Amino acid sequence: MQGLVKKRKVTLGLWIVVLLIGGLLVWGTQHNASLYHDPIMQVTSVQKGQATKEEDDFHNVDYQTKQKLSGHILNGKYRGQKLTVTNTYSLSGAMDQHYRKGSQLFIVVHQHQHGQLTATAKDAKRDTALVFMLWLVVGLLLLIMQFSGFMAFLSVALNGVLFLMAIILNGSTQGARVLWIFGSLAVVFAALTLWLVIGANRQMLITLATTLGGTALSIIVALLVFHFTHEKGMYYESMQYVTQLPRPLFLAETLLGSLGAVMDESTDIISSLFALKRERPELSATQVFKSGRQIGSTIMGPLINVLFFIFVADTFPMAMLYLKNGNSWGYTFSMNMSMGVVQSLISGIGIVLAVPLASYLASRFIEKKVRA
Amino acid sequence: MSTITVLGLVLLVLMVLVGGKAGFQSFLALLLNFGLLFLAIVLVAFHFPPLPVTLVVGMLVLALTIFMSSGDDLSSTVAFLASAAVLVILVLLIVPVEHWALVQGFGPEDSEDLEGLSVLVGINFVQVTTATAILSTLGAIAEAAMAIAAGLSEILEQHPKVSTRALLGDGIAVGKQIIGTTFNTLFFGFFGGFLALFIWFTGVHYSFGEILNDKIFVSEILMILFAMVSVILTVPITTWVMTRAVAGQRKRAAKQMSEK
Repeated sequence: MQGLVKKRKVTLGLWIVVLLIGGLLVWGTQHNASLYHDPIMQVTSVQKGQATKEEDDFHNVDYQTKQKLSGHILNGKYRGQKLTVTNTYSLSGAMDQHYRKGSQLFIVVHQHQHGQLTATAKDAKRDTALVFMLWLVVGLLLLIMQFSGFMAFLSVALNGVLFLMAIILNGSTQGARVLWIFGSLAVVFAALTLWLVIGANRQMLITLATTLGGTALSIIVALLVFHFTHEKGMYYESMQYVTQLPRPLFLAETLLGSLGAVMDESTDIISSLFALKRERPELSATQVFKSGRQIGSTIMGPLINVLFFIFVADTFPMAMLYLKNGNSWGYTFSMNMSMGVVQSLISGIGIVLAVPLASYLASRFIEKKVRA
Repeated sequence: MSTITVLGLVLLVLMVLVGGKAGFQSFLALLLNFGLLFLAIVLVAFHFPPLPVTLVVGMLVLALTIFMSSGDDLSSTVAFLASAAVLVILVLLIVPVEHWALVQGFGPEDSEDLEGLSVLVGINFVQVTTATAILSTLGAIAEAAMAIAAGLSEILEQHPKVSTRALLGDGIAVGKQIIGTTFNTLFFGFFGGFLALFIWFTGVHYSFGEILNDKIFVSEILMILFAMVSVILTVPITTWVMTRAVAGQRKRAAKQMSEK
């Protein structure tokens, strides 16, 4: 009992330390302008102009307002100098910013004559909000989940580092081997994560085999379907931010996207089956297989949903803009949502196929460990 | 036949083969969710206010996803109530953060896609981006709430007399098991989607500071973080709702006993 209290005290102490460091970091991003190369301006007063009405070819009515931002520069060689910048913002604000008193923004300085600076607003400074949310997530995770929360965060952070390295590698090969790089990365990702979550044992090996098998099968099925339908209705040109050959990039995106969900599912099914077999060792392989299918069929639907919302909800702003620009529902779907839907469907196929695969592998290879 | 149709049919056949009637229902729920998402976009384009539309659509999505999967009544009801509560809390978090971070609409990286489109459409994009962030977490909330409710109802089945205090601890224990893998689902799901963007950043040699303040990057990372917050919150809230439900059931049962 005493050990428990002591452990709790240590966790509480750790939590307070994290809270303090995080708070300090959030405060620091408000005052880190000197770390940036580009000049940053702090707005101290705002003068608002008249709003003008705008109407486009599709009878969309919007209002644009000019504002005069007065303030001073926080960093670089112009540090401490006062200046005024004009900025235009619209009611919709899709491509512009409405700055307020206290905002920090990046500016581009044009001229420096007679101590007068002229500059234009470039973009808002956003690192404070980002660090604040990161702090909130880590704080909540440690508060509610304690040590397991730390492990979960560690595995995400490690995967993030690996991901970054793979992207740099991809850049250095000009994207020629994107599928190979991210395909092998998927194997490393899966092995590392499962090792952190389950530990190095038989259960982890079965889960790893299921994860890789399910993901690979979904890509094979997708390629077969692509072959027989000649990729009709796939609009690679609608993919966003593409700087290299779109087709392998699309497959790499899909591969990574479904990997996590398939891993989630196989971990659930196989750990439940191991627990079941431990409690009732008399169960035959067929019964284990049936239970696996039972567990799997209840969780596969919600998991496909998770990926569907991640892949497709993201297209909301662009799809809405298409509709407001007089495009039909069908064209809007094709140009914005079709690739996301294809990705969700391929991942869905992987998630479903992992159910019998996990159940089969578990029923076949669970035996020895439990007897020993 | 188009690729989407064939892939959809393959998925339907596989889901029915593996899950039977439950598989078919899950497929139907997926289809209806797509309809709801599209409906939300169309309604916002018709100038319905984005936040109320998102809340109503969000509640419908949660109800559909949870009640159309095969679970027992108690765990489905608990999962729905808990996920609805998480959705409301999440809205209270997302709205101020999105206002603060100024990540609405599109960034300079989108200019090619925006060519020929009018962006002054008179709809507040802060609200549209907020709606996007809320919608993208719906699946994760529903999944986490269902997993925890199902885990707890299984514990209740095996130990019907477990105290509500012990149940609270059990909920956190179940949550610990699922949080690691759920985080990975979110991480890979989102990062898979942003792969092209990250390749862009390294290809055009953005500096670290530029990436940290980039509109699109911050907006996407905020979405992952919102989803993670929602999953973390789902654990204690679902557990709490479950203990309330069980306490209520026991009270009623006790009352009936004394009346007899």
